[in-house]
Amino acid sequence: MEEIKNKYSILGKRIPRVDAPLKVQGQAKYAADYEMAGMLWGKIKRAPYAHAIIKSIDTSKAEMLPGVKGIVTGKDFGGFKWGWQGYTRDETPLAVDRVKYMYEGVAAVAAIDKDIAEEACDLIDVEYEELPAVFDPFEAMKEGAPLLHPERKTNILVEYHWDFGNVDKAFDESYLVMEETFQTPKSAKGYLEPPSVLAWWEHDTLHYVGAKGSPYMIWRILGRAFDLPLSKVRVISPIIGCDFGGTKNDGHALDFSACLLAKKTGRPVKIVYSQWEELTTCLRRHSMAVRCKMGMTRDGYLTGLYTNCVADGGAYARMSVVSMYLANGFNTVPYKLENFRTDTWCVYTNNPIAAAMRGHGRYHTQYAMDGVMDMMAKKLGIDPLELRIKNSIPNPKPGETYYTVNQVRIGSCGVKECLEKSGELFGWDGYKKENKVDGPIARGAGVSASGFLSGARLTGHNSCSAVVRINEDGAVNVLTGATDVGMGSDTAMCMIAAEVLGLDMSDMEIKRVDTAYTYPDPGSYGSRVTIYAGEATMHAAEEAKQQILSAAAKEMDVAPDELDIKNRRIFMKSDETRFMPWLQAVRLACYQGNGNVIVGKGVSRRGVKPAVQAFEKGIGDTGTNYGFAAQINEVEVDLETGVARCTERSSMGDDCGFPLNPTIVETQGIGGSYHQGIACGLYEEFIMENGNTLNPNFVDYKRPRVYEAPFPKFHHAITQDPFGPYGVKECSEATTSTGAPAVISAIYDATGVMIKNMPATPEKIWRALKEKKAQENK
Amino acid sequence: MKDFNYSAPKTVKEAISLLGSLQGEVKVLCGGQSMLVLMKQGMLAPEHIVDIKGISELDYIRFSEEKGLTIGALATHGAVEKSPIVKEKYPVLAEMEDNLAVVQTRTWGTIGGNVCHGDPAADPPAVFIALSSKYKLMGKKERIVNAEDFYKDLLEVDLEHGELLVEVQVPPMPANSGVAQEKLMVQKGDMGIVGAAAFVTVNPSTGICEDARIVLTNVASIPFRAKGSEKVLIGKKIDEKLLEEAGQIASEEVDPPADTHGSEEYRRDMARVFLKRATAKALQRAQQKN
Ligand SMILES: Cc1cc2nc3c(=O)[nH]c(=O)nc-3n(C[C@H](O)[C@H](O)[C@H](O)COP(=O)(O)OP(=O)(O)OC[C@H]3O[C@@H](n4cnc5c(N)ncnc54)[C@H](O)[C@@H]3O)c2cc1C
Repeated sequence: MEEIKNKYSILGKRIPRVDAPLKVQGQAKYAADYEMAGMLWGKIKRAPYAHAIIKSIDTSKAEMLPGVKGIVTGKDFGGFKWGWQGYTRDETPLAVDRVKYMYEGVAAVAAIDKDIAEEACDLIDVEYEELPAVFDPFEAMKEGAPLLHPERKTNILVEYHWDFGNVDKAFDESYLVMEETFQTPKSAKGYLEPPSVLAWWEHDTLHYVGAKGSPYMIWRILGRAFDLPLSKVRVISPIIGCDFGGTKNDGHALDFSACLLAKKTGRPVKIVYSQWEELTTCLRRHSMAVRCKMGMTRDGYLTGLYTNCVADGGAYARMSVVSMYLANGFNTVPYKLENFRTDTWCVYTNNPIAAAMRGHGRYHTQYAMDGVMDMMAKKLGIDPLELRIKNSIPNPKPGETYYTVNQVRIGSCGVKECLEKSGELFGWDGYKKENKVDGPIARGAGVSASGFLSGARLTGHNSCSAVVRINEDGAVNVLTGATDVGMGSDTAMCMIAAEVLGLDMSDMEIKRVDTAYTYPDPGSYGSRVTIYAGEATMHAAEEAKQQILSAAAKEMDVAPDELDIKNRRIFMKSDETRFMPWLQAVRLACYQGNGNVIVGKGVSRRGVKPAVQAFEKGIGDTGTNYGFAAQINEVEVDLETGVARCTERSSMGDDCGFPLNPTIVETQGIGGSYHQGIACGLYEEFIMENGNTLNPNFVDYKRPRVYEAPFPKFHHAITQDPFGPYGVKECSEATTSTGAPAVISAIYDATGVMIKNMPATPEKIWRALKEKKAQENK
Repeated sequence: MKDFNYSAPKTVKEAISLLGSLQGEVKVLCGGQSMLVLMKQGMLAPEHIVDIKGISELDYIRFSEEKGLTIGALATHGAVEKSPIVKEKYPVLAEMEDNLAVVQTRTWGTIGGNVCHGDPAADPPAVFIALSSKYKLMGKKERIVNAEDFYKDLLEVDLEHGELLVEVQVPPMPANSGVAQEKLMVQKGDMGIVGAAAFVTVNPSTGICEDARIVLTNVASIPFRAKGSEKVLIGKKIDEKLLEEAGQIASEEVDPPADTHGSEEYRRDMARVFLKRATAKALQRAQQKN
């Protein structure tokens, strides 16, 4: 491991993040920080029904309000519909004749200030006819349920039925078979930066500055929405304050409304969602019921798995087609499994729209599988950590690959190491013998392990390109179509370019996407940025380097391959005393080349070919490679009140192939995904009543802070994946998936009750304990 | 948010005369920690706002052996939390503040604002009632009311038009007494799903409970005085069985709300648990003083 660490001068080192100084000094400019002369403020008028026909909209009173400059309604978009793929185009920017979820946008106002825009919204009269609504996906699947999209004749948005091996036979031959249903909550993305946009039209070109983690998605969508050639849509990325999937991936009412209002008024229009709008109307994680049946041998070896998943997709399709694939696509990792079958549905309901979120899809089935696994381990009398270790997919030898039963190709797998090291860091051996009850407080520990794809290859457009530009003064610009939404990829790209060019981080500068100049890129999702943009940046830097070496070689009268660059010197590999200073080589290359600048271009094509049978049959290698993780948590449960909380004792092992920057990997693991992971286990849940969100604020909707969940101890499993640049793969989607199951199984260990409808809020635990007591007294 | 007229008097006198002269809906604003939430949600849209945060003469915490503790309306939660005299003489208030909200809210929110907001989930009113405190109000004339009588209904308190709360008066702790506060938090700093403040005095020679004042939060529309529970405790030696009985009574007597944090049924049981926990701790403290 030391060997790998010392292989590079910059990669693998704890380099400070390039965006940190700007962010901590408050200088980073986010979308909501942008203003322009003559700018108007926009506001969305929202419907107070979860399902209703819009009979009429009267904007006349609002138009008379002094300060109002323009109003648009759903009809003004000329019937434009959009969606993730052609066949899922079911959504209009603002509702046209029907609202399908509570507070869906029906009109938008631009005014000289925010308060006037808000007042104008109140003055818009909308006449509705309320329709019967459906909020439960099981109800929505039934014949005769109110239809969300009548033209589709069913509320089933997507369904998959996959079958590998022979599950029935496996169950028949198993020593133990168990079946349980687990329910995940609806949860928020929880970024602090609100969705924001500033749009204006200049020289017939639509200009858009917005908080989007996938700026090229909105670029294409806006092109279609306003019938513009892509050359006349300019999306400019500011710094993004988190994404996690959903509203910041694609569009929402504010994006389209700002553009159309700007067109109508001839002035720049800015819209910033309030936290209330974000939490009531923006895209949230699916809730999913997962019925999970599992078979094991007497020794605890997995024999077969069946999952039956029903997810609430909300009112529109969005990415649900993908989410439902991801829910089951990796059930065959991180454990060896030959027999697997699933029946899976996602259903339209009159709830707010569901969409992708970190640990996308995977986290639901992970919870159910870990839950059943622990209940079986208890029945079999096998230690839950030992059970996981013995079922782990082994790390393939160099040059070899492991194929799962559904043809997922694994070139490296450190899950066993992650489990073993988590156990060591936690002090698992011996934990059993500790006394864990003190008054009303009982302690317990739980473990989970997971795997997640990096570099999603689910549909086309997944190539990624980069430009490395060396200016005449030797300073370097790195440009990719990728977007750092806070995960640190800008730093990773600069590190890669600096490593290849033999330069320092201080020579590097990275700017964000401007669709007029950068290469198109699908965006930040599917854990794709570091491996694709990283590979592209590596190639771009290599191409730029070649130009420098060629120019220097000519002058030094040697062959380019005899030279290399280190510490701002172009030197002869065989005789380091013969060198040319960096700046001299740059000047030569600039002036000898095709202009006053050196441009290196690079591309990663690993994501170009999608796995075509993935959705329909579940077959195929939909990632470029796969990250793995394990986590162990201790919780304390107050047996009288049901309050469960994490203690100081926890550990995590992560296999991201090779940590390009260990500090960033750790902050993604223990700082970011850790809290997001346990959050759904213990705290986070939108409480819904007839489509209405009852806790749309961060006082009533609980999220853990560092007090609630002290950082775990961390281990890097370095497996050097053959398919990622420098051996890297994803980090933090696998660790987002392990958090909730680890705390839920810790509660199981502490109390003997398995919470099957997380989060394990105090009242749920209190009820479960009461029931258990009643059972025991029978 | 709707527009409003804003003024910021610098003295109590100025504030009182201003409040008396303004027509239409007038609201006093202090730290705004509770009020701005209501205004942003459109639940409150006053015509006039009188911001008293600048009246520095009301920002104090004083103690004397005869009168006990007096807390000016403008003293912040943070000031109470850190006050050496509070820590020494009324540690329960410092403990309460440690679990009250987050540091930002404690730094800007005031005791006056908290007790005048009339939130039955708030911690300070319960502790003040348990400690037999009084509130000093100033309007056309001065009034002193028992903290307990100040609460009328949900977010409704005994403040007349143009009146300000200027001071909270906490009497000295009697001999052989103990006080404690506990609340049910999912996370540190939460408003209690249910909370309890308990005050007891114990006869050092007989060990008999001579007085008990127990107040539960978030189980009724105002701070809830658990009189039925107090009754079974007073005049007896408190043990686990008696505590359980007192807790049971409380769980039957309360009239708790149901919301996203807990059902009525759960809150009833938590009234039992927290009454027991706070009382047991107060008892232990009363006994330790002997
Ligand atoms: C995130 C958060 C968490 C919280 N957690 C807790 C908690 O755990 N426990 C708890 O007890 N509280 C909690 N609170 C409430 C907090 O303590 C109060 O919001 C704060 O103390 C109110 O003081 P303020 O000065 O900001 O009052 P303001 O918001 O300015 O005023 C509140 C009300 O009191 C009136 N008012 C204020 N001062 C006077 C006065 N001198 N005379 C007459 N009327 C007056 C106002 O008109 C208004 O009606 C929390 C608040 C927040 C925002």
